Amino acid sequence: MQRVRATFEKKGRAKYISHLDLNRCMLRTFRRSRIPIWYTEGFNPHPYYSFALALSLGFESSCEILDFNITDDEMPMEAIRDALNAVMPEGMRIVKVAEQKQKITAIAKAEYAFSLVTDDSAGLYAAAQTLLAQPEILIEKKTKKGIKTVDIKPDTEVLTCADTGSSVDITMYLPAGTQTNYNPTLFIEALRQTTDLPFEVRDIRRTAILCADNTVFE
Amino acid sequence: MDLKQKIEKHLLEVQKPSRYIGGEVGSVIKDKSKVDVRFAFCFPDTYDIGMSHLGMKILYSLTNARENYWCERCFAPSEDFEAIMRENDIPLYALESLDPIRDFDFVGFTLQYELSYSNILNMLDLAGIPIFAKDRTPELRQIVMAGGPCVCNPEPLADFFDLFVLGEGEEVNLELIDLYHRMKQEGATRLEFLRAAAQIEGVYVPRFYHFVYKEDGTIDRLDVDEGIPATVRKRIIRDYDKVYYPDNFVVPFTEIVHDRVSVEVLRGCIRGCRFCQAGFIYRPFREKTADTIFAQTKALCENTGYDEVSLASLSTSDHGDIDNMLTKLIDYTAGERINLSLPSLRVDNFSESLLNKIKKVRKSGLTFAAEGGTQRLRDVINKNVSEEEIMNTCCIAFEGGYSSVKLYFMMGLPTETDEDIVGIAELAQRIVDLFYSIEDRPRGKGGVQVSVSCATFVPKPFTPFEFEPQDTREMVEHKQKLLLGSTKSKKIKISYHDPNVSMLEVILAKGDRRLCPAIYAAWRKGCKFDSWEEYFKPDLWLEAFADCGIDPSFYANRRFEYDEILPWDHLDYLVDKAFLVRENKTAHESKTTPNCRQRCSGCGVNKKVGRECFAKSKSNV
Repeated sequence: MQRVRATFEKKGRAKYISHLDLNRCMLRTFRRSRIPIWYTEGFNPHPYYSFALALSLGFESSCEILDFNITDDEMPMEAIRDALNAVMPEGMRIVKVAEQKQKITAIAKAEYAFSLVTDDSAGLYAAAQTLLAQPEILIEKKTKKGIKTVDIKPDTEVLTCADTGSSVDITMYLPAGTQTNYNPTLFIEALRQTTDLPFEVRDIRRTAILCADNTVFE
Repeated sequence: MDLKQKIEKHLLEVQKPSRYIGGEVGSVIKDKSKVDVRFAFCFPDTYDIGMSHLGMKILYSLTNARENYWCERCFAPSEDFEAIMRENDIPLYALESLDPIRDFDFVGFTLQYELSYSNILNMLDLAGIPIFAKDRTPELRQIVMAGGPCVCNPEPLADFFDLFVLGEGEEVNLELIDLYHRMKQEGATRLEFLRAAAQIEGVYVPRFYHFVYKEDGTIDRLDVDEGIPATVRKRIIRDYDKVYYPDNFVVPFTEIVHDRVSVEVLRGCIRGCRFCQAGFIYRPFREKTADTIFAQTKALCENTGYDEVSLASLSTSDHGDIDNMLTKLIDYTAGERINLSLPSLRVDNFSESLLNKIKKVRKSGLTFAAEGGTQRLRDVINKNVSEEEIMNTCCIAFEGGYSSVKLYFMMGLPTETDEDIVGIAELAQRIVDLFYSIEDRPRGKGGVQVSVSCATFVPKPFTPFEFEPQDTREMVEHKQKLLLGSTKSKKIKISYHDPNVSMLEVILAKGDRRLCPAIYAAWRKGCKFDSWEEYFKPDLWLEAFADCGIDPSFYANRRFEYDEILPWDHLDYLVDKAFLVRENKTAHESKTTPNCRQRCSGCGVNKKVGRECFAKSKSNV
C-alpha cells in the first residue's frame, strides 16, 4: 500500500465548493478515476482520504493537501495524478502526487494573499500600516465554544503590503494546522473596524502550507 | 461589468452559492459561435429540487448530443439570491454559459406539480421575458414552452406559454428544434413558426384555441382556428428499450434531493389505481430489458462516480423480468460497493425471496401506500391491496428485523365515510398488535413505530376520478379530528398535509383558461414557492381568486358531469373518456378492475397505438 499526498489547486468556479461538498466531490472523483484507492475495513467500508486543512468558501488555493492510500504498490505517482486530473471538476487540478514525507501535525502556518479594492488606496494603505503598528490587534473570533476576543497581532506575519493605486495588496502568514487556525478575514475585519474607507475584498488565495520553520509542508 | 462578475460579486452572500455558478462535472459547455439553437431548460423550483429531476437529465443530454444545439439548465433562485438579482439587475441566466435566458431561442419549463406555477411567472419576470405570450416579440426567438405531466391540463397557464409539448419529449423536442432551426434560417416570424409547430403531433399552441362558456360557467364549445388540429395527441416512444438514455449526468457539488444515479426501468403502469394520474397519462406500459437496464446503470455509475443507484418507475416490481434484472444489478453494485435503492415496490408482490435480495443490499424503511382505510374503499379506488397482504408483508419484515412501518393514506376519497377514516386507525393498530404477537420480533429501542401519513385527495384530469369533487375544508378537518380521536396507541404517529395546499392543487389541476389572470394576480401579490410550507400564502391566493371573480369551489368542490366539456377534452392522452366514465361508475359500485396484465380493461390505448400492450404469452401472468 502506498501512502500518498496530492497537492491540488482550487480555482475559478471551484472556489464556491464548500468543504463539506468537496468531500463528496472527491469521493466521486476517486470513483470516476478508478484508481485503486484503499477502503477502510469496518462495517461500512469507505475510501479513506483526508484533507490537511479546510479552505473557506470563496477562497482560491494553489496548494491544498489531500492524503489517501493506494493499494497498488507499483502505480507511478504521475499515473495517479493523470487519472485524477482526467476526471476532476473545472477549476480543480492535481499539481503533484508524492509520498507523505511529514506528519500532518507538522503544519504550522499558511500563506495567504488578497487584494483590498478601493477608490482611496493611499488612505487604505495608511490605515493598514497604522493597524499593523498597533501593539495588539483585538478581534472577536467565533469558536466552537462561542465568541471570544483574540489578539491576532503576535501570529500575523505580514510579508508584503503594497499600494497598487487601485487596491492594497497584502500577503501574510497565519497560523494553521491542528492547533490554531486564523483566517485572513479576521485581519480584514479588524481593518474595517479601524477605518471608514469602503473597500471590497477580492481574490483571497491560500498560496502555501508551511511548517514552523517556514519550509513548505510535504 | 459582465454578468459573471456581477454574479460573483454577491455570490458569497448567499446560501449554497455553488447552485448559481455551474461548472459541475458533466455539465456541457459549447462554443456559442458554433451553436445554431439555444435552449434553456427551466425547472420552476430551486436547484436542489430541479437537479433531481430525471426528465431534465434525459432531455439535456439528448439535445446536447446534437452538436449545433445547446441545452442549458436554469432554476428558480432562493429568496436570498433573488433579492440580490433584483437589486443588482442580474437577469435570470443559464448555468452553463451564464448568459441571460431572455436571449435564448427556447425557454422550456417542465410542469411537474401545479404548485410550481407561480414560480414560472416569477422566473419569466426575473428573466425579463414578457409574462403573457401575447406581449412577446413578433420575431422568432424566446419561444416559451412547457412539457411534463401537468401539461395534460395546461389551460390555467395557456396565456403565458407559446406552446406545450404533450407526452414523452425524446422525439418531439428535437423535431420542434429542427423546425425552429429551419424556419429561423428562412426568416419566419413567431406566429408562422407556431402555426407550423401546431402541425407536429404532440404540440399544442393554445392561442389557436378559443373557449366559449355557458352562463353556468361550464364550457359551451371550443373554437379552433382554421388549419389547426381540433385535438392534440400526446407523443409516446414506441421502441422504449432503444430510446435515448444518457450515459452521464451533471453531478452537483451541493447535496440535492435525489443525489444518485437514476435508471428508468419502465414507463406506464398496469395497475389502474383510479386516483393516480401517472397511472393513466403515461400509458401504455413499456419496459426496458434487463440487459439495457444493467448497461445504463453501469455506464452512469462509471461516468458520474455516484455510489448510489435508484431504479425509477411507477412500480418496479411489475417489471416482467424483475428477478433476473435485480440479480444482475445486485451482483454488479455489491462488487462495486454501490448502494442500490428500490422505491415503488408494491405490497402484493413483495415476496420473501425478493425481500431477502433487497436486504442483502441495504436495510431501509418499509413503506406501504395503502391509500384507503377499509377494503371497501380500497376497492373503490382500485388499489388492489388486501389487508392480509399488508399483514403478511409486515410479518415477514418484522421477523426480518424491521421495527418501523410507514403507511400512506388519502382522505376525502370518493364515497368515503367516517367508517373508512376509523379504519385507518384500526389498520395501524392491527399492525402494532401484530408486531407484539411475533416471538422473534426485534427487541429494544422502544418497540414498533407505525407512521401514518394522510394526504388530502386531489382529483386529477385523465383519471376516472376527474369528475369528482374534492372535500371541503370543513369535511377534511372533521375527518382529521376523527382519525386523531380513533388512534389509541402511542406507537402510531399521525401526520397530515395542509388541506389549503390540496385545495389550490385541485383548482390548478382542473381549472381552465379563466384562471390565468388569477395566477398572475396571485404572483403579483407575492405568491411563489407554494409547495414550500414556509412560503405558501393561501390567503393571498383566495384574494387573487376573489379579485378576478373566480369561485374556487366551482373547480374544487363541484362534480363535473360526464357529458360536460372538460377543459382538457381536446387533448388526447390515448385513454378514452368513455373508459374513464366507465371506471368512475365501477368505482361507485365498489368494484375493482383487474390489472392490465391480467385482463385488458379497454382503456383505448392499444387501439390508438396500434398494438397490444402485452404479448399474448404474458396475458395470463
